Amino acid sequence: MRMNKRVLLLLLPGLLFLAAFMLVPITLTIASTFVQDGKLTLEGYLYFFRDGYFNRILLTTLRVSVVTTLVCMVLGYPAAYYISRASARKKSLLLALSIFPLLTSPVVRSFSWMIILGKKGLINSFLVNTGLIAKPLDILYTPTAMMIGLVHLFLPLIIITLLGVMENLDHELVRAARSLGASPFAAFRKITFPLTVPGLIIGGILVFVGSLTAYTTPALLGGKERVVSTFLYQNAMTLNDWQAASVIAVIMIVITFVVVGLMNAWANRLNPKG
Amino acid sequence: MSLLSLEHVSVAYDNRLILEDFNLSLQKGQLLSLLGPSGCGKTTTLRLIAGFLNAEAGNFMFSGKDYTKVPVEKRNFGFVFQSYALFPHLSVFDNVAFGLRLRKLKEAEVKKRVNRMLETVSLGGFEKRLPGALSGGQRQRVAIARALVIEPDLLLFDEPLSNLDANLRVNMRVEIRRIQQELGITTVYVSHDQEECFSISDQVAVMNNGKIEQLDHPANIFKYPASEFVARFIGFGNFIAFDGRNDEGADIELSRGELKFQAAKRPGGEGNTGLLGAIRPDDLQLLGAGADMGTGTEGNALTGKVQVSTYLGRSYQYQVETELGVFTVNQEMEQPFIQGQQVTVYFPKEKLVLVQ
Amino acid sequence: MLSLYTLLVFIFLLGPLVIISITSFEPGTVLKFPPEGFSLKWYKNIFEVSAFMETFRTSIVISLLGNLLALLLGVPAAYALSRYRFHGRDTLNAVFLSPVLIPGIVLGFTLLRYLIVVYNLPIVAGLLIGHTVIMLPFIIRVIASSLENFDFAVEEAAQSLGATRVYTFFKVVLPNIRSGILAAILIAFLESFNNVDISVFMTGPGISTLPIQMLTYVQNYFDPTIAAISVILMVLTAALMFIIERLMGFAYFTKR
Repeated sequence: MRMNKRVLLLLLPGLLFLAAFMLVPITLTIASTFVQDGKLTLEGYLYFFRDGYFNRILLTTLRVSVVTTLVCMVLGYPAAYYISRASARKKSLLLALSIFPLLTSPVVRSFSWMIILGKKGLINSFLVNTGLIAKPLDILYTPTAMMIGLVHLFLPLIIITLLGVMENLDHELVRAARSLGASPFAAFRKITFPLTVPGLIIGGILVFVGSLTAYTTPALLGGKERVVSTFLYQNAMTLNDWQAASVIAVIMIVITFVVVGLMNAWANRLNPKG
Repeated sequence: MSLLSLEHVSVAYDNRLILEDFNLSLQKGQLLSLLGPSGCGKTTTLRLIAGFLNAEAGNFMFSGKDYTKVPVEKRNFGFVFQSYALFPHLSVFDNVAFGLRLRKLKEAEVKKRVNRMLETVSLGGFEKRLPGALSGGQRQRVAIARALVIEPDLLLFDEPLSNLDANLRVNMRVEIRRIQQELGITTVYVSHDQEECFSISDQVAVMNNGKIEQLDHPANIFKYPASEFVARFIGFGNFIAFDGRNDEGADIELSRGELKFQAAKRPGGEGNTGLLGAIRPDDLQLLGAGADMGTGTEGNALTGKVQVSTYLGRSYQYQVETELGVFTVNQEMEQPFIQGQQVTVYFPKEKLVLVQ
Repeated sequence: MLSLYTLLVFIFLLGPLVIISITSFEPGTVLKFPPEGFSLKWYKNIFEVSAFMETFRTSIVISLLGNLLALLLGVPAAYALSRYRFHGRDTLNAVFLSPVLIPGIVLGFTLLRYLIVVYNLPIVAGLLIGHTVIMLPFIIRVIASSLENFDFAVEEAAQSLGATRVYTFFKVVLPNIRSGILAAILIAFLESFNNVDISVFMTGPGISTLPIQMLTYVQNYFDPTIAAISVILMVLTAALMFIIERLMGFAYFTKR
């Protein structure tokens, strides 16, 4: 069907709103990074990529995001598998316990790790009190702290994403494999895992992109350690260098879209159902 | 004069014409069925009459007025949906009262009419139930009551029984016919089930590819399909393509190469044109090879060999291979023929119909 | 084995939230675990620090107003996207869900740069618009998913009985997706109420949201006030989550 007047009228208010308050500002921001003193130039970007400080931040961000994603996959997959096989009551309880953190303020969730990882925090006082170490460890305000916080932030997301995929899995398939002589492990390896890999990748995308662009957690747990998003904030609000902030914004958009595009394509290729 | 007529109507969907130069008319008080396979345009026709669809070209006349541009809510047609489409948040009573309240009737009058209508469909006592708490058959009755209570000028049914189980389907179609005749309400009924259409209709229109292949009384369609499509659709499973015919005698003389067949003329004379002979599996007869066929049966027979025999409960069904191809025969008998047996297939001339 | 692993995963997920709750009752001035006693004085402190109360009020007002705006824009869009099949539907669907794809921090910055600085809108307006943008996809997704189960023949039935389109929408469609709309409101509310990425750019004299105020406070003080607020927020979240579950179950969350 062609789009008729009625449909257009219903969609138009929302579309205009998004155009005015999302599309236009972002487009203008992107455009502004290519212009300096009235001339078309890539200088804004070249400056950044020549700058060792920025490269270090970018590298830290990528490293933190990659590790966070991998840890989330390793922690999330078995847990999701367990939940998907659990009894109905247990399943709905564990589902609720996964969704609750997701809906809880990221400020609250990251703040909780300040209590645990701080100099006088739970871990250090335990280690010092038991005499295992003499001096408290520096965990808070390091990339490690950021990683822990981000894993905590995004683990529920990957669990419920995987759960959605696993719930759709036809368990008759596993039974069929078993009836053909597959051991439980072989059935898992040959049936369950390949059919849930796309979910793992989609969950991975969500975690990776989320970590790459998260602000609250690095701001609270990173201390002086910058990641791209806190660096953007610093340039925009503290240094008032809007040109720099815009360039960082565009870099973030590009990385996000490239990663989402690539991983989506990968997930589609791995999707055995085509 | 007809109450309803579609004149040269075209309907397109997704740039594809579903109906093209389509014509249909219907007399007051009649029940017309639109019968055909899915995709034949029957539902499109019904939705066009209801006003859910707009025609690209042509007119829809109703009661002498041009209804082409009249919006759905102003037409006063009752529509019964395949999915029943009951308002899930309203009780049975409120569902039926919905149209009356929109017509600004006094609440006392609404109550009176709804209760009377619920009695008519045997649902007294169910007023407070929500649709979710009803069985399929009960939902269907509510849907019918809701459409009837507004005293519609036309009643439209879109495959209303297809979601019910077989027994209920038979009961409900009797019910629909009873109510329709009691109220004398003009009705258009869409279905893909021929038995359903034949049993309740005054007129049946068999549709194919957006065209009406045949519009007639059910009994005439059943006996004398006008085209190969109609014949196949209503169960004529066997066909012989003849290469000559002669209408001069009392019967129609037919030939296929050396073989001679006879077909009886249709009383009244019309119809029975064309060169394609059609006959139902139930109307063919099988005889053991060499059996005495009696007199007057020279010709109208083929010898053949039983390929497959299946048991249908009341009868046996055979696939018989002959020089004119494989024929399907249903026959009641004590001692069935066995596979490979030589038999004679006999074509009674009264049952052999010629179609275009 | 697997159950033990899952147990550890959930201890990791929920443990910190339990710890934060326990430390909120600390009587001393420094956050400690385990706390050295039991006191509600930091809960009392929340109500005595006017910045918390003011930003709490701002957060609520922005979330509710933004919700209203997002509903006005999103309900017609969700309806059109679910009800009609037309060319470009998938693309438009993606457009309406795209605000979740744009990094929040980028969206916040561009809104600050153009809405407030270039277009000269007041900060509150920027805050409201930004929150509406991020709520819109949630409103549309949740409502569209509740319209998925709606048989649109019901709409045609109402029309054939004499109801106009508008009447049909308000009297037949809306009552049947009421719980979906309520759930959408709550989910979008939480999304907006907890938002940092947009709000962090939209602060000014006397204007800030609660999460931003908490963030600022944590960077300067390390007393248990924030732990106490956290507990209150978690209770609120749990209550809303319970209502959302009643309204539409959890299936929505596992859909991607």
